[in-house]
Amino acid sequence: MSQGRYLKDKAWLYLPFFGAIILVSAIILLLPYGTVYVQDRMYLFFFLATIVLCVALFFIGTLYNVLIWMQGKGLSGTPERRLMRVMMKSLRFVLSKRFAKVTAVFVKDALYLSKLKDRSTLRWLMHLLILGGFILTFALDLIVTFAMDLVNYEPMIVESGWAKIWIRDFGFEVGGLMMLLGLIIAAVRRFVLPPKIVRTELPDAVSILFLLGVVLGGFILEGIGIAGSIPGHTVNQEYSFVGYAFSLVTPSSWDQYYDQAWLIHGVMSALFIAYIPFSKLFHMIATPIAIEAERMLPSGVMPSEEARHL
Amino acid sequence: MKKLDISKLDVLALMSYDACTRCGECTSTCPTGGEAQDVELVTPRGKILRLREFYKRQYGLKARLFGPKEIPEEQLKELSSRAYECTICGQCKTVCPAHLDTIEMWENMREFLVANGLAPLPAHEQIVKSIENYDNPWMQPRTQRSRWSKRIEREVKVKDALKDKCEVLFFVGCTAAYDPNIKDMAIDTARVLAKAKVDFGTLGNEEGCCGSTMMRTGLFESTRGMVQKNIERFEKASASVIVTSCSGCYKTIRQDYPKVGKVNARVLHITQHVNELIDEGKLVLDKKVEGKVTYHDPCHLGRHNGLYDEPRKILKAIEGLDIVEMERNRDEARCCGAGGGVKTAFPDLTQKISIIRVEDAEKTGADILATSCPFCYQSLKAAVETKGSKLRMMDLMELVRMACSDGH
Repeated sequence: MSQGRYLKDKAWLYLPFFGAIILVSAIILLLPYGTVYVQDRMYLFFFLATIVLCVALFFIGTLYNVLIWMQGKGLSGTPERRLMRVMMKSLRFVLSKRFAKVTAVFVKDALYLSKLKDRSTLRWLMHLLILGGFILTFALDLIVTFAMDLVNYEPMIVESGWAKIWIRDFGFEVGGLMMLLGLIIAAVRRFVLPPKIVRTELPDAVSILFLLGVVLGGFILEGIGIAGSIPGHTVNQEYSFVGYAFSLVTPSSWDQYYDQAWLIHGVMSALFIAYIPFSKLFHMIATPIAIEAERMLPSGVMPSEEARHL
Repeated sequence: MKKLDISKLDVLALMSYDACTRCGECTSTCPTGGEAQDVELVTPRGKILRLREFYKRQYGLKARLFGPKEIPEEQLKELSSRAYECTICGQCKTVCPAHLDTIEMWENMREFLVANGLAPLPAHEQIVKSIENYDNPWMQPRTQRSRWSKRIEREVKVKDALKDKCEVLFFVGCTAAYDPNIKDMAIDTARVLAKAKVDFGTLGNEEGCCGSTMMRTGLFESTRGMVQKNIERFEKASASVIVTSCSGCYKTIRQDYPKVGKVNARVLHITQHVNELIDEGKLVLDKKVEGKVTYHDPCHLGRHNGLYDEPRKILKAIEGLDIVEMERNRDEARCCGAGGGVKTAFPDLTQKISIIRVEDAEKTGADILATSCPFCYQSLKAAVETKGSKLRMMDLMELVRMACSDGH
């Protein structure tokens, strides 16, 4: 492989890749964040800088993990070129009729975790709560951002709006509570009553405690907001039922620390995103892909014929 | 600095290493790492994490930024040795909630170790030499391969498939052909085929090792020549069906040969073929065989190929047999401990595992332990004897032969 060819392969991958990171960063930075309740805008800017950096780290870490896969047997060309071809093939697959069928299996195997359910109901429930809560919270986050910052959808912004009550208050609460319950089961199972198969090393402990910190931080923040009647938390507080419960044990004077608590929660969430590709949590991405890839390529060893077409 | 060559690891395997959730579901049921030894590095999770750690040190983002790190030779050798303590039974594939195809992963991991000069183990090298020089892993001369059939030459006509055209090619396999304690497996298979009036033959002394032993120890590339030769022999024999009584040969010809060349015949395990013969009324099991039998699922037949019902249907068809299942059966069945080159390199480990399996069988109250694989038969029979168990080790074809009246 000549150096020129190699550089060309790299350019084909890295230019759109870094372009995408810049685009996502620009969107993050340009959103108005009109309903973020921190008083000191420096906190907001610091958070935005962190989230942009962390999102970039997430994408770069994921890319380099995937590039390791691309050095494996069964494909030809540089890893960058292989990845481009695999992505194109995956795109074609997504647009094909087979995709719907495979998606059904994917939902059953990768999201519903059917196999785990058969082996251990408790672990299945634990995993489903964490994964389900994560997906729900992430989806709601996108919806809320779109509704509030892009289209200024009033019922999502005003305190008594139906969307504010049911999505921003109740919806996030359900997502967060699901994660919290799942993480409590995980923590008890790992640290208090560990079965023989559980082996805890630093990355295992960090993953659980980190996520637990993020989720609990969210509820504490909510509790401070409700207790101190911070804008956005003044009416219909019972819909944020977990945060409301926290508010009952939170002194109202803590509202002076709301900005700091908000920043800590935000930065921790951002760091969590950055941590994914460098931790065991990367299985959140790798497992569904491996399951899908297995379906796309039924034989374990990719036949050379297949490799030539990729 | 020695840099690992990860280009021998499958793309899917590399994905799977990252997809492992470290849950440990595989560790408790792993016959070698979990049940027999309790050594984390032998378990699927242990191997995955260690290998992933090694190649990430050399290929991960940190390695790209600050340069790859050297992995101490002794750590690599330890991983290699431990990786060969796996029987590739596939129990981990059954239990893995992340749906990892661990059978492919372990075979591929061994290919990778071989490519990086870390394997095969010295014990396996002897077998490789034997296969290369004698076409069988037992250091036996080629001319003795078809000797098993001498014992039945008066009662059964075993055709030379390379000379006389026949419908079914019986691929005997090295173990049944050479091991004096296993020969009956080949003999009974031939008798059963003859009783059903199947037009069958063998490749005689021309039959070559199927290559299973080498493939399971990571030497897939070295087997290409012998696989090609066997495929050419199949072509020459032009039988429409290839039947094996060895589940290792069955897996190899059915799953691995197509990676080298096309096999233009239906590949069946004898349990499948006998089922077909019974269903078609060509084989009548009209003799009562008294006994309480429990069936051990060979990994190559069960978890690797999904053949669970066929052997049981045969047992049910034999009048007089009382069939009892072991607590762990079908896809949850314990391994006999012989596969994946473990018996050759770690015989004590095999014995430990096979004794556990014999204990499973004893708990059923059965007096017969049946199976349909020469390797399982070998190791379980040895365990029965070591343990002084009252169980009688039998091959499924022996039971079928006993159930056929002489006149049929």
